[in-house]
Amino acid sequence: MIFFALEAAAWAVRPPFRPLLILTQMAFIGAGSVFIVGVTGTFSGMVLALQGNYAMKQFAAEGYVGGSVAIALARELAPVLTALMVIGRAGSAITTELGTMRVTEQIDAMDSMAVNPIQYLVVPRIIASILMFPALTMLFDALGYLGAYVMGVYVAGIPVGPFIEHTRGFLNPDDIYHGLFKALAFGLVVAVITTWRGYSASGGSRGVGEGTTRAVVASSIGILIVDYGITLFAVGT
Amino acid sequence: MIEVSDLWKSFGENQVLKGITLTIPKGQTYVVLGGSGSGKTVLMKHVIGLFKPDKGTVMVNGVEISSLEGKALTEARRVFGMVFQGAALFDSMTVFENVAFPVQEKRQGFSSDQIRAKVIEKLRVVDLGEEVLERFPAELSGGMRKRVGLARALVSDPQVVLYDEPTTGLDPITTDYVDGMILAAKNKLGVTSMVISHDIASAFRVADRLAVLYDGHLAAEGTPSEVRASKDPYVQKFLSTWFAKQ
Repeated sequence: MIFFALEAAAWAVRPPFRPLLILTQMAFIGAGSVFIVGVTGTFSGMVLALQGNYAMKQFAAEGYVGGSVAIALARELAPVLTALMVIGRAGSAITTELGTMRVTEQIDAMDSMAVNPIQYLVVPRIIASILMFPALTMLFDALGYLGAYVMGVYVAGIPVGPFIEHTRGFLNPDDIYHGLFKALAFGLVVAVITTWRGYSASGGSRGVGEGTTRAVVASSIGILIVDYGITLFAVGT
Repeated sequence: MIEVSDLWKSFGENQVLKGITLTIPKGQTYVVLGGSGSGKTVLMKHVIGLFKPDKGTVMVNGVEISSLEGKALTEARRVFGMVFQGAALFDSMTVFENVAFPVQEKRQGFSSDQIRAKVIEKLRVVDLGEEVLERFPAELSGGMRKRVGLARALVSDPQVVLYDEPTTGLDPITTDYVDGMILAAKNKLGVTSMVISHDIASAFRVADRLAVLYDGHLAAEGTPSEVRASKDPYVQKFLSTWFAKQ
């Protein structure tokens, strides 16, 4: 898989460049995931606000709910949950599509036409993932915080002033950058795993199914391991 | 034009090719006959550089394609067109996009009108009209898919066309039609062809030279009449499955 990723990196910087294919994949991975990421983000924020309010109320510290939710979303929940949602929706589809192309000789056909399949099929998906994972994470952040605001202020009755002020006090731009960097890394990891599993599929439709299952499992575990690694490196023990 | 020398290939314990040597002269149609699992497709995929041999060489126009990698291999493949057994059409693309794909990707400076004209011209060669241009492969019959596959192989005017089981699964009339297309590609366009098949009737109809592949080696090789006269027991048995019925 590492050689596969390195080969993709080498082809990414060689002409011809195919911006239209990248845009198509951005639409599929990014725009196509807006609904599922938006819903997940909104409800995650709402739940965090309710749980936070339940816990903080015991210390008469409800005003800190906005800030704590914002930090949790920005640094951890938004990139991880976004990645998990996109793996389920787009990652599995990528493996299935490339795997089907492999077992029906469409990838061989592309090779025979002097078109490198890694450059044509894999590189646009990796670039699109690297770009769209952070964008979707920002959407998750925004809608998650909005959900938390609605639940915290209008349902739980937390005063607007402390809710907003403590968010401003707690949340630094670095928290958001931290989450976006994670999202970028997750995009790379997920795209490499899912394209590699599809590209190297064999054994007919059963092989494609197995490859897709493995891609989803490996991607999900992979992002949690990478998440731990980045967090450990960024904040220490 | 194409020279295969002492080609060996195994997959795990399975030794598929055992020292294949053959030459395909320019402008001729060379058919490799053999039963299922005899290694015909593996041999063809070596010719176009999709597989690397364990030992031996494949020379195409004086270039050793078996030793090339990356961009050099991609460039070397520009002389080829290939018709796959199952057509291998891109199922997310229309017929027009499929046939236009090699021309658009080779970036030879054709305008979109010129590409459209080339696509329509090649579809006419395989007797398909403009009404199929916007159809997807799933909306075509097996025979139509084969024809679109051939049009796609011919659209960039290749010097060499490789056919992987071009008549498998086709009815006799369509088989006859595909044979006619292979002959037309040779006679009208002057292409060199390599055909992998187990269809004996079709092979003897289109071949200038023939080889019978058995157990990883060539059991017979030569003109159709030379192969027909072969004393090799396997070749006699293989050919009798068709000639005995005539």
